[in-house]
Amino acid sequence: MDSVRLYLKSCRMLMKSQWQYRTSFVLQTLSQLIMMGTELLAVIFLINRYTTLGQWNGGEILFFFGVIITSFYLTEAFGRGITNFAPLINKGTLDTILIRPRNILFQVLCSQADPRRLGAILIGVAALMMGCAQAQVSLNLTKFLLLVWSIIGGSALVLGLFMIEATLCFFSVKSIEMVNILTYGGRSTCQYPIDIYPRWLQLLFSVVAPFALTTHVPAAYILGKPLWNTGLAAAFIAPVSGFIFLFLMTLVFYQGLKHYRSTGS
Amino acid sequence: MPYIETKDLTKTFIVRSKKDGHILREKKAICALDHVSFSVEKGELCGYIGPNGAGKSTTVKLLCGILTAESGQATVGGLTPWKSRKEHARHIGVVFGQRSQLWWDVPVIDSYQLLRDIYRIPEHQYKKRLDELIGALSLEDFLHTPLRQLSLGMRMRAELGGSLLHSPELLFLDEPTIGLDAVSKLQLREFLLEENRQHGTTIMLTTHDMEDISALCQRVMVLGHGKLLFDGSLQSLLNRYDTLRTVHVRYQAGGRLPQLPPCALAKQEGDAYIITYPPKELPTDHMLTLLQSGGAIAEMTLHERNIDHMIADMYREMAL
Repeated sequence: MDSVRLYLKSCRMLMKSQWQYRTSFVLQTLSQLIMMGTELLAVIFLINRYTTLGQWNGGEILFFFGVIITSFYLTEAFGRGITNFAPLINKGTLDTILIRPRNILFQVLCSQADPRRLGAILIGVAALMMGCAQAQVSLNLTKFLLLVWSIIGGSALVLGLFMIEATLCFFSVKSIEMVNILTYGGRSTCQYPIDIYPRWLQLLFSVVAPFALTTHVPAAYILGKPLWNTGLAAAFIAPVSGFIFLFLMTLVFYQGLKHYRSTGS
Repeated sequence: MPYIETKDLTKTFIVRSKKDGHILREKKAICALDHVSFSVEKGELCGYIGPNGAGKSTTVKLLCGILTAESGQATVGGLTPWKSRKEHARHIGVVFGQRSQLWWDVPVIDSYQLLRDIYRIPEHQYKKRLDELIGALSLEDFLHTPLRQLSLGMRMRAELGGSLLHSPELLFLDEPTIGLDAVSKLQLREFLLEENRQHGTTIMLTTHDMEDISALCQRVMVLGHGKLLFDGSLQSLLNRYDTLRTVHVRYQAGGRLPQLPPCALAKQEGDAYIITYPPKELPTDHMLTLLQSGGAIAEMTLHERNIDHMIADMYREMAL
């Protein structure tokens, strides 16, 4: 409870800081909205032209797009401390975090948030609603809970993936771009249902970075076309993989922290 | 048991450098701290000096729990900083002279309130302590101003306040007076002395400003190339390097400089003489008797060597 209050307070503080530069803040939020809006339009044009992709029709594709985008940008908004970790080291913020009597990762998450991403999240939610309407899916309570659960699981997975990048920062490795294959690459690839891809990509995104489990299995269930014959229980269990992934990466992160060398005087 | 105790504390950094024309980077291990052992009692004011890159900050960061030691031990109040980081953090305050720990864009008081929550300081204790710090550091005027709009001196006071809100037993100061004007420096030193006297706060200070040391510290440790080279009082350190003294003397009409022993060097400047001599070979009272034998003295001043020169000599002698 105490931690939740502290987190909210930190967020308020960050908002206050951002508000000091309000023109820039408003413009950047708008640009996020436009950027994601364009991506959404691209998907809409695509499904207007081709109507189906494998076994999936237009509305369903929009739905998949919505789930991934919402998860991804939730992480970018609230997990900014991890997704943008390098400056914490360069500016010495991590030193400050380490001398305070609170959990390190918790403080890292408190240290940054990016409310500008709300634009992108809005687009994601809009895509979800459009997808539901077009595919004529009505969300009952079970399906709604499954959807929320799946989005959170997806966010946890994305956070875990970004944590690999963050851990690499301890070793001053510059080739962090490699990990972007899994983060941004995962986001772009998994906007579309996993079963349209060749086998090796399916394996990559269900075993290595399990977007298929956190997102596609529950989403397909909600749409009434379960992937790989999964039932309701399996659809609820699948997103747990995101949390397991995040947990494992947290362990790796703490191992990396032992090699932290701080900067300058 | 001493409050702070380190034993053979060692930390190496791997540095990768790329030579021209080579594709592979070369790995080199740099020993930032090499088997450093010392102990500090509770309530001590301890100065930690050494040239840039000597390992001062590394020591402080190890003792704060920011870095993990490679080998050797360190305990502060019985805890190993990097192992019991959270528990340890409750008892220490840290001020880095060159970087801020408060929130840059919000008023100082907002930062303080967040710190109160981070350290879980009970409200009545927080209020009392805050009032005390506002008074001692004259924070009143800028408590509601965003940190980034403050002058360096104000900012340092705000930082100090923030690091002391939770009444730590141990305060680390890493170059706290860097860039401050004379008045701010004096204020800061006075405040630190008072804090030490009133609350028994142990203070460990790294600095390049020897005035800081002579004003604050009973004890000084010299670090060079990762090794502890000296540990003792400032006076005993200076005695070792205080090898030369200078006297300026001007005689009344008729007086002239007598013959001096060869270890003293005299130089004439207008109608005054500047004499440099080693007090160990030629005690000062002998010197004075000698000078008086030359006639009636109109004016005379005796100078110790500048403390910075002595430290520079010391670094040179230790081949730093």
